[in-house]
Amino acid sequence: MNSDQLLVLSPIISLSLTALILMIQASIKRDHRIAWWISTLGLLTTLLSIYSASNFSQDVGPLLKVDAWGLWFSALLIFCALITLALSRDIFHTQADTKEEYYLLLILSTLGAVVLVQAAHTASLLLGMELMGIALYAMIAFPKSGDLPLEAAVKYLVLSACASAMLLFGFALLYGATGDLSFAGMGAKAASGYLNNPLLVLAGAAIVLAGMGFKLSLVPFHMWTPDVYQGAPTAVTTFLATLSKGAMFVAMVRLILDGQLYRYESLMNALSVVAVASMLVGNWLALRQQQIKRLIAYSSTAHFGYLLVAIIALPHLGDTQQLGRAAISFYLVAYIVTTLAALTVIANVGGEEDSDMQAFDGLFWRHPAQAITLAVAMLSFAGIPLTAGFMGKFYLITLTLNAQLWLLLGTLMIGSAIAIYYYLRVIFTMSAEPHQLNKGSPTVLGWRNPVALLLMLAVLAIGSWPQPLIDLIGRL
Amino acid sequence: MLEVVLFYIASAVALLATILAMTRANAIHALIYLIISLLAVAVIFFLIGAPFAAALEIVIYAGAIMVLFVFVIMMLNLGERGDARERQWLQPKIWFGPAILSAVLLAEIVYLMGTVQGPATVGIVTPKAVGLALFGPYVVAVELAAMLLLAGLVGSYHLGRRALERRH
Repeated sequence: MNSDQLLVLSPIISLSLTALILMIQASIKRDHRIAWWISTLGLLTTLLSIYSASNFSQDVGPLLKVDAWGLWFSALLIFCALITLALSRDIFHTQADTKEEYYLLLILSTLGAVVLVQAAHTASLLLGMELMGIALYAMIAFPKSGDLPLEAAVKYLVLSACASAMLLFGFALLYGATGDLSFAGMGAKAASGYLNNPLLVLAGAAIVLAGMGFKLSLVPFHMWTPDVYQGAPTAVTTFLATLSKGAMFVAMVRLILDGQLYRYESLMNALSVVAVASMLVGNWLALRQQQIKRLIAYSSTAHFGYLLVAIIALPHLGDTQQLGRAAISFYLVAYIVTTLAALTVIANVGGEEDSDMQAFDGLFWRHPAQAITLAVAMLSFAGIPLTAGFMGKFYLITLTLNAQLWLLLGTLMIGSAIAIYYYLRVIFTMSAEPHQLNKGSPTVLGWRNPVALLLMLAVLAIGSWPQPLIDLIGRL
Repeated sequence: MLEVVLFYIASAVALLATILAMTRANAIHALIYLIISLLAVAVIFFLIGAPFAAALEIVIYAGAIMVLFVFVIMMLNLGERGDARERQWLQPKIWFGPAILSAVLLAEIVYLMGTVQGPATVGIVTPKAVGLALFGPYVVAVELAAMLLLAGLVGSYHLGRRALERRH
């Protein structure tokens, strides 16, 4: 390895070093404030190193492909991790000691996600996914009180293990058909492999996509989502909903594009069925939820159904593939920022055990800033103009129109229409007369107010003045 | 041709042992069948020209990890009742099935050792080649695996200590 290669790998090296420093710190003096600062500084250093790495284009071996796209999403994931850190600072204050492991696990999970978005090989994809997942199990079960986090962690652990097993089996079949484990090599050799044995390629790819669908909670692999979202501490839910799912989706896009899986029509038809089911079932199940975290869980299923439409549209676009990549990037950014805003407010206001809708009764009178942020986030989820979600949907619909996928376009419309009902219900709840229980003095949020406001401004800025982001994404 | 026959015998043993492992009600009996299944996979590795992977399969999976499983299960059953249960586990008829399956594998491996020429179709992957690949192009994967183990260690430490605190 030469020094340029090390510079290109510096985001990964910087995160690993942060984890090691946290280990050393824990062995010298266990203090969670210090651990918090080390993690924050480590993440900021990583952001800097991503910036410096973007100046080099160097081959770093078969495992990783460090390109502008991967680096941009790495930066976005680091941003998610920073917000999670800000939310986590106070949530474990009821437990007296030993909170440092949490930060170590958070850094390791972020490392896994960064590897995942830069993966160009099945080995690095699997290592990144497992690193992200294993650290997440422990983070979900981190609170010492209550059985809900433990239940959520066990559910996530068992189903993730199934997903990993499916992924491995699918990779084995693809390797049997093509004799190559890197995405690009698979793509190059899949055509001849398909001629020899079409079933091997199709079955392998379908099993791999099903394994990834588990992590993205696409229908019919969505069963774990609401329980895990509800049971995990809200900061960890934020982490899971943004960083883990975002990284997995980027890896899926890379596999489908570089592995040229989009060339197989039957596979794309199967993906269409999954997309339609996710959009309809996700929105339908979200309608009846009384728990706001469960509502966001089901809505995430629907949103990843929308995103899947963009992947399916890609092969139909011909020479405008750039538009497809831009649409995926834009929607993912909009979704991640909106989810961060919504879950930040839920963490600030709802507390740990109580994410029931009733906790949000009359929020406009108790915490106006938080309520406005949540309202903007809900409008953005629903795709109302001037918010980030609207621009994302606009992109997706343009893409689907260009690709002339009428069934998917229709389902996207129906899904969005259903979704408006339950997103607005949250806003109505917040503007209702304050609930009897909630009339006491409001909790002091202090510096957590500006975090929520910052995210709200980001959602509004992306939605009302999207040109800088569009330019940035267009250049990737 | 002969390799193909041997491959199918070993695969059949692996499948049969895995099915038996899944259907046993007793965890120890299931584990014994799982070990047989891993041994059969090792024989398959040997057949397709990867003796190093075969050795690792036995040393790491059938050796270290399975022994750890058996240890933990047996340690959870200490005392008089545990002794009685263990005696019940180790009845001769329990050993019958695993013994036959492993005898088949033993016969295969003895036969393979006796034949001079190795498998004709594929080149043999030596430990040196594995090492060169691991610490050459795939060095990032080795480092990431270290981080993966760290995450597993720290996570299980935290959860395990919580279980201890609850008991006291």
